[in-house]
Amino acid sequence: MSHVDEGTLHAYLDGELPPAEARGIDAHLAQCLACRGRFDEERALITRAGELLALAAPPDRELPPFRAGDVRPLKRLWWQVRLPLAWAATVVLALGIGTYLGSGSAAYRESAAPALAPPIASVATQEDQSREVAAADTPARLTYQRSRAEPRVAKRAASPPPASATAVPQAAPEVDRVGLRGALAAPPPAPAATFGFTLDSARAVLGQDPVVVPGAPIRAVRRDRMMGYAAVVVIEQQVDSSSVIELVERRAATANLDAVVVTSAGETRAPDSVTQLKEERRKAEPRADAPAARLNARVAPVDAPSPPLRRVGNLEIHISGPLPADSLRKLLQLVQPVKP
Amino acid sequence: MYRTTYRALVRFLYRKVWNAERAEDLAQEAFARALIHKPDNARGWLFIVAANMARDDARRAARERRHLTLLTAEPQESASATDEALEVESDRARVQAALDELSPRDREVLLLWDSGLSYEEIAAQTGLARGAIGTTLSRARRRLVHAYQAGKAGEHVARG
Repeated sequence: MSHVDEGTLHAYLDGELPPAEARGIDAHLAQCLACRGRFDEERALITRAGELLALAAPPDRELPPFRAGDVRPLKRLWWQVRLPLAWAATVVLALGIGTYLGSGSAAYRESAAPALAPPIASVATQEDQSREVAAADTPARLTYQRSRAEPRVAKRAASPPPASATAVPQAAPEVDRVGLRGALAAPPPAPAATFGFTLDSARAVLGQDPVVVPGAPIRAVRRDRMMGYAAVVVIEQQVDSSSVIELVERRAATANLDAVVVTSAGETRAPDSVTQLKEERRKAEPRADAPAARLNARVAPVDAPSPPLRRVGNLEIHISGPLPADSLRKLLQLVQPVKP
Repeated sequence: MYRTTYRALVRFLYRKVWNAERAEDLAQEAFARALIHKPDNARGWLFIVAANMARDDARRAARERRHLTLLTAEPQESASATDEALEVESDRARVQAALDELSPRDREVLLLWDSGLSYEEIAAQTGLARGAIGTTLSRARRRLVHAYQAGKAGEHVARG
């Protein structure tokens, strides 16, 4: 048998020769001293070359997450395309809310011309309601209007308090009443801010599956905005006949992430609770169509200064609702992503 | 697939662009493209794409002087490095110089083998016959070791 050439020797040493051929080499090496010498040389050469290449290996770093690579360009695209769209949507939303409120408050203003009429006027639009409820309703409606009709509302805001004070026996501070109404949670007419925002839109906005408490019917899904977050989605779920919880799911804005991390926890939370309060006030209006006075004693003010947080993927989730804090925390443990 | 191939790909690319970040970026991009194209033989495809990207990258680098200054500025980052780190760095530079002395085909085959590709895969990628891979590898290894030793000896002579 002829001697083994170098290429074959390397293939043999690399374990890349077909078994039959490799057996032939074995046999030849067993009887050919010269080839065995070359075999040892080539083996040393292969080892040495491997060592040299190892010297020129890249620093061993942590394996980046798989998605990182393909998400990056997508994200850039998202911002390029979605930011103008988001602004457009904001304008449309603002106009929509304006129109919605405008119609409401126009009727309100017409019939409200006489001094103490406003409470009655707003009752007229809702069926089967006591005078007390309507009166209690007024402050919430007024605070909400303030954003668009500042001076007029300021004037009017002065008149309702006496009315509501007489109507609701325990003249509780306003926050209490807001909390109370959140607790009533009677099915309201479809909220104006929904605008066809569905779980699918939420998924698109959040970049991942929104989470919900499994089994609880979803009443509303809407989009919100908060400083430091690229996307905020609020999902309302009915947990029993009288309680509705809000799941606030936030995806931190990547651009602002450093800033958010640097600021203290108190600071980042502050705008949060403000938004929460606003949310609840807004809802106070449609939910007022239930006997307010009866539940007044039962429900404690909903005042969670630091709602428990949970992270699911990139999302920050917290739940608020007319339930004790520990119940909310339990619900928070239950939430699961909704698969499409 | 990603787990096993990513490191191999970075390793392969690093020997071409000699910049760890750049190699990682290119590897990520190759994977991103693979997700879009969904090739049948993803592993082989990745290495082909990576090789093309590295070549384009090198061309671009040669075109842009800005990039060159960036590269030369890079070692300054490790200016405070220890002697040991400097030694590692000079070893790396010697290996780089030695690799540069190989013919493009030999170098490609050697780098692909070192990144964990089989003779079969290397043959498919380079268009060489499978039987020629062993010969090419033996030549590449020999030249690499010789060039490295020569470079080291040359340095010693130069230092006096």
